[in-house]
Amino acid sequence: MATVYTRPLARLIEQLQHLPGIGPKSAQRLALHILKRPEDEVKALAMALMEAKQQVGYCSVCFHLSAEPVCEICRDPNRNSNIICVVADSRDVIALEKTREYRGKYHVLGGLISPMDGIGPDQLHIQPLVRRVSQQKIEEVIIAISPSVEGETTTLYVGHLLKPFTKVTRIAFGLPMGGDLEYADEVTLARALEGRRELD
Amino acid sequence: MYLRSLHLRQFRNYLDQRVEFNAPKTILVGNNAQGKSNLLEAVELLSTLRSHRTTRDRDLILNGAAIAQITGQVERTIGSIELAMTLRNSSRRTVAINGEILRRQLDFLGLLNVVEFSSLDLDLVRGGPEQRRTWLDSLLIQLEPVYAYILQQYNQVLRQRNALLKRSLAGEARSQEPTENSELKTQNPAPLLPELALWDAQLAAAGTRLIRRRARVVQRLVPLAANWHRAISGSTEELEVRYAPNVATQEDDPEVVRQAFLEKIQERAIAEKYQGTTLVGPHRDEVEFTINGAFARQYGSQGQQRTLVLALKLAELKLIEDVIGDPPLLLLDDVLAELDLNRQNQLLEAIQDRYQTLITTTHLGAFDAQWLHSSQILTVKAGQVFAGNGIEDRV
Repeated sequence: MATVYTRPLARLIEQLQHLPGIGPKSAQRLALHILKRPEDEVKALAMALMEAKQQVGYCSVCFHLSAEPVCEICRDPNRNSNIICVVADSRDVIALEKTREYRGKYHVLGGLISPMDGIGPDQLHIQPLVRRVSQQKIEEVIIAISPSVEGETTTLYVGHLLKPFTKVTRIAFGLPMGGDLEYADEVTLARALEGRRELD
Repeated sequence: MYLRSLHLRQFRNYLDQRVEFNAPKTILVGNNAQGKSNLLEAVELLSTLRSHRTTRDRDLILNGAAIAQITGQVERTIGSIELAMTLRNSSRRTVAINGEILRRQLDFLGLLNVVEFSSLDLDLVRGGPEQRRTWLDSLLIQLEPVYAYILQQYNQVLRQRNALLKRSLAGEARSQEPTENSELKTQNPAPLLPELALWDAQLAAAGTRLIRRRARVVQRLVPLAANWHRAISGSTEELEVRYAPNVATQEDDPEVVRQAFLEKIQERAIAEKYQGTTLVGPHRDEVEFTINGAFARQYGSQGQQRTLVLALKLAELKLIEDVIGDPPLLLLDDVLAELDLNRQNQLLEAIQDRYQTLITTTHLGAFDAQWLHSSQILTVKAGQVFAGNGIEDRV
């Protein structure tokens, strides 16, 4: 290694390789690209990295990523604060927001229950959620967590805790829109059958 | 179904080899480490997408090459199809049917069905219960593809539950220290819902599905296997196959099984707490074989155990044929020579020309003359396949 890259370049490649989805080849490409750019641009990148890390924290209400103590979604008076959508990760908030179909509030758990990774209910933002639901007038909690083994367990746990206070629902699982029935796999089809509903 | 031809490119020790199968039975003869089993492995991959010898695609590619390709021409009652699999050193494998690459590999399964019988299977009776569970599971995956998904889910729940039990075992040891214990009690009130109960519910739900599907397949296999065993033993032996689930119930109702599962978890709660591992569930199932009322595992002679495994394999062939509607292939890897002439003949009679059979062996000498006459014989040497039985005539 030391003979191939000069020391600072090797360090940059090494750091870039820690990023998700970046292997040795991509890291090398990115590093060489950065070296070719003007110094201002590289400085801007470095600043952006540092500022994002220093300024972005969690919303004290819903635990979504936020530079303010309370995030924009939680502060928005036009959103329905009687509905809370529970998700595992900030990425899920972003995905749901892109649909522009949901006008309620969120609550980000920060992961899923997984004893193998040492994550129990206490490591997630579940207690603040219970407080929110028990102390405010919440009409409905929608659980939007993927149906993996860990997701199911987390859904079960959160559902149990919240049911005494409000109506708890979960999003439906089944066929993708525009997908053909015959191309769906058996597991998805079985799931879609389970979640069938009466015609209006 | 009939595998008409196989084309291996840069696969294991084959550089570029085409093989035509022109008889219902093909005997591949050759010394050890020449590539006989590699050829059967290629067929196994086309059938199940898996190899019982490796889980890394890299191992399947010829040394120094970047990709390997397996192509098979299969004739089925519904028509002829070409199955192709491309394995890569540095990226994901792709599979194609009639030249069209599939988006979901699951769709590749079930087009070529095989039953494998290798010398490892001879340990099925004598070996540990895990071997019998694996055998049952792989049969179920061929018959009901969804089973693969359910099994994977169950195993994931099991791993998570075991991790939790292990963690609380470690935590328990720590809280034995009096100071920490009292501190914990004052600070944290008892949780509203014990975390373990969640995993209990998940384990019982997934486990119930496994138990019922396993019970169902054994039930269908039992009469077929008993018939074969009777035939091979000359009606002197009566085989019984019994599925002995760890959670046993009288009724096959899903709710009854699930309740029994949860009750048994409660019964074993203290033992689980001390051992830090899950003691209840289908991962502790057993399949029992008895011959004339005596447990084959303890009391069966080696000959009886071989008869039994042979009867099971023949029952598998028939069961897959019944469910799929097309007779599957039989792969006999180095096992035939280990059967005596009587059992060889029984096997020959049972499969006749009904099931296409690929056989590997190091010596033709142990075979019945009848076998040799009705078979296509190919010699495998250093990654190449030749027609006939090679240079020296061993017949």
